Amino acid sequence: MSIQVILALAVFVGAYVLIATEKVPRVTVALVGAGLMVIIGATDKRGIFFSQESGIDWNVIFLLLGMMIIVGILQQSGLFEFLAIWAAKRAKGRPFVIMVMLVLITAVLSAFLDNVTTVLLIAPVTLLICDRLTISPIPFLIAEVMSSNIGGTATLIGDPPNIIIASRGGLSFNDFIVNVAPIVVILLVVFVGLCWLMFRKQLGFDPARVARVMALNEREAIRDVPLLVKSLSVLALVIAGFILHSLVNLEPAIVALLGAGLLVLITRLEPRKIFADVEWQTLLFFAGLFIMVGGLVSLGVIEAVGQAAIQAVGTNYLGATAGLLFGSAVFSGIVDNIPYVATLAPLVNDLVQAGGQPAQPLWWALTLGADLGGNATAVGASANVVVLGIAMRNGHPISFWTFTKYGLVVTAVTVTLCLPYLWLRYFA
Amino acid sequence: MRASDLHVSLPIVARETTALEAARAIAADDLVGLVIADSAGVPSAVVSAVDVLGLLVPSYVLDDMALAGVLDEEAAEEVWAKAGQSTIGELIDDDRVHIYELLRVDADDTILEVAARMANARAQIALIKGSSGPDAQFVTLTALMDAILTFCAPSDTSHNDA
Repeated sequence: MSIQVILALAVFVGAYVLIATEKVPRVTVALVGAGLMVIIGATDKRGIFFSQESGIDWNVIFLLLGMMIIVGILQQSGLFEFLAIWAAKRAKGRPFVIMVMLVLITAVLSAFLDNVTTVLLIAPVTLLICDRLTISPIPFLIAEVMSSNIGGTATLIGDPPNIIIASRGGLSFNDFIVNVAPIVVILLVVFVGLCWLMFRKQLGFDPARVARVMALNEREAIRDVPLLVKSLSVLALVIAGFILHSLVNLEPAIVALLGAGLLVLITRLEPRKIFADVEWQTLLFFAGLFIMVGGLVSLGVIEAVGQAAIQAVGTNYLGATAGLLFGSAVFSGIVDNIPYVATLAPLVNDLVQAGGQPAQPLWWALTLGADLGGNATAVGASANVVVLGIAMRNGHPISFWTFTKYGLVVTAVTVTLCLPYLWLRYFA
Repeated sequence: MRASDLHVSLPIVARETTALEAARAIAADDLVGLVIADSAGVPSAVVSAVDVLGLLVPSYVLDDMALAGVLDEEAAEEVWAKAGQSTIGELIDDDRVHIYELLRVDADDTILEVAARMANARAQIALIKGSSGPDAQFVTLTALMDAILTFCAPSDTSHNDA
């Protein structure tokens, strides 16, 4: 092992530890790590900007950018608040029915929006509804963030790791719908049952409070009907573009950017409002990660590990699928799943290239494990951290262990259910 | 004219002061901000009146402004009744609220010096050094503006008349 490889591995492991411990902002760690990779000669400008194998994955960056712009505009319409209050009124103020409806709304929205945005939109209105019912919002917030992580697993655009997996594996929007969405639907049904078991004792119903919910006027939440119509129309076009990918022959990133451009054009919002919700730090974090992983790819580290993995796996793809599923779930419960998937994706790609069609389920094992593992602990996914912050600010603190005791149950059940699904679909 | 010539007394609040008490103090004296004392009772920070207003509004409404319209008058009355229980301490702990360190000026500072320092620090209230505790003396933005205006000629309309 050359000194260059040792230094590159040291940079990579050091960056991972710093990201996991959150002592330093993750974007800072990724960019400094990327800089160090350049300094030690693990990569160069051609490798960073122009290499498909070892460079920044521009498909991922621009797909995220396009979707952030679209969602940033859509969320100004008040649609999400309208839906949540409408659901609470349809449920006639019954807490568990409200919880089920909010869980399902959150899961569906999360399949098309990123999870953090979804919970940022659904948490305040949940607090309002619970305030009206004079019940604790904690079970609702926990259930919503978990359903957001489950629902986001269903599509290519639902969770950032899926975008990385799709780009590295050459997988389409429809591939995710066909291979992942069915199990996500099953998991949501099971999750609703788990919510009943875990939270039913905390959902006291006071009929006298129902009128307070029924008095809410959801129509007032819709602030700009033309904006709502325009942004929903463009989102529908973008999703149609993803689904008809093979017909329109446009990459998802191009579809998202065209959609974002169209929406900017027809809404004529100020640039300040359009770009306010673009998470530039997240985009730079991705870029830094790609450079760091690219450094290991350029030095042949990923290939060497991939070869070792190929030899270890042999033709036992069911065993590899199970290992990757559970390993990813455990790892993603502890550290951010984005760097984990960014690192694992080239390795899985090597395995799939070597194994062909029988190895294809490895992509779905990585997707399900990494996305569902985020539910395991309070720090397993960015959305969890965001919801804990909102809860704290509103006087309903959720401790790490309160979240984690529910998270471990939900993760164990959902990830375990994925194994028979993968076996039945691809190996039986 | 010096800083000491502008001195005013202001109500001083503590972490435990409720939002309702703070609102009353602001409304009674038309204040632009409130001076906050530390645990030893020493004036140490300033919170603007608009941030105290934010304390009266539920956090979930501040997080999502669309929710302000969905509550009817009856519900809003309940919100106000409940909001009064929040404390200044919650404002201090809220990352979204900027609590200004209390600016200190010398008693013999000129009006220009005081104006420059308050403008530079974006301070609405400054403590006059040497005063402390319940007898602390302050320069407020409005008192400073009044003082500045005494030096300015009455509004000159000669340009328009010419």
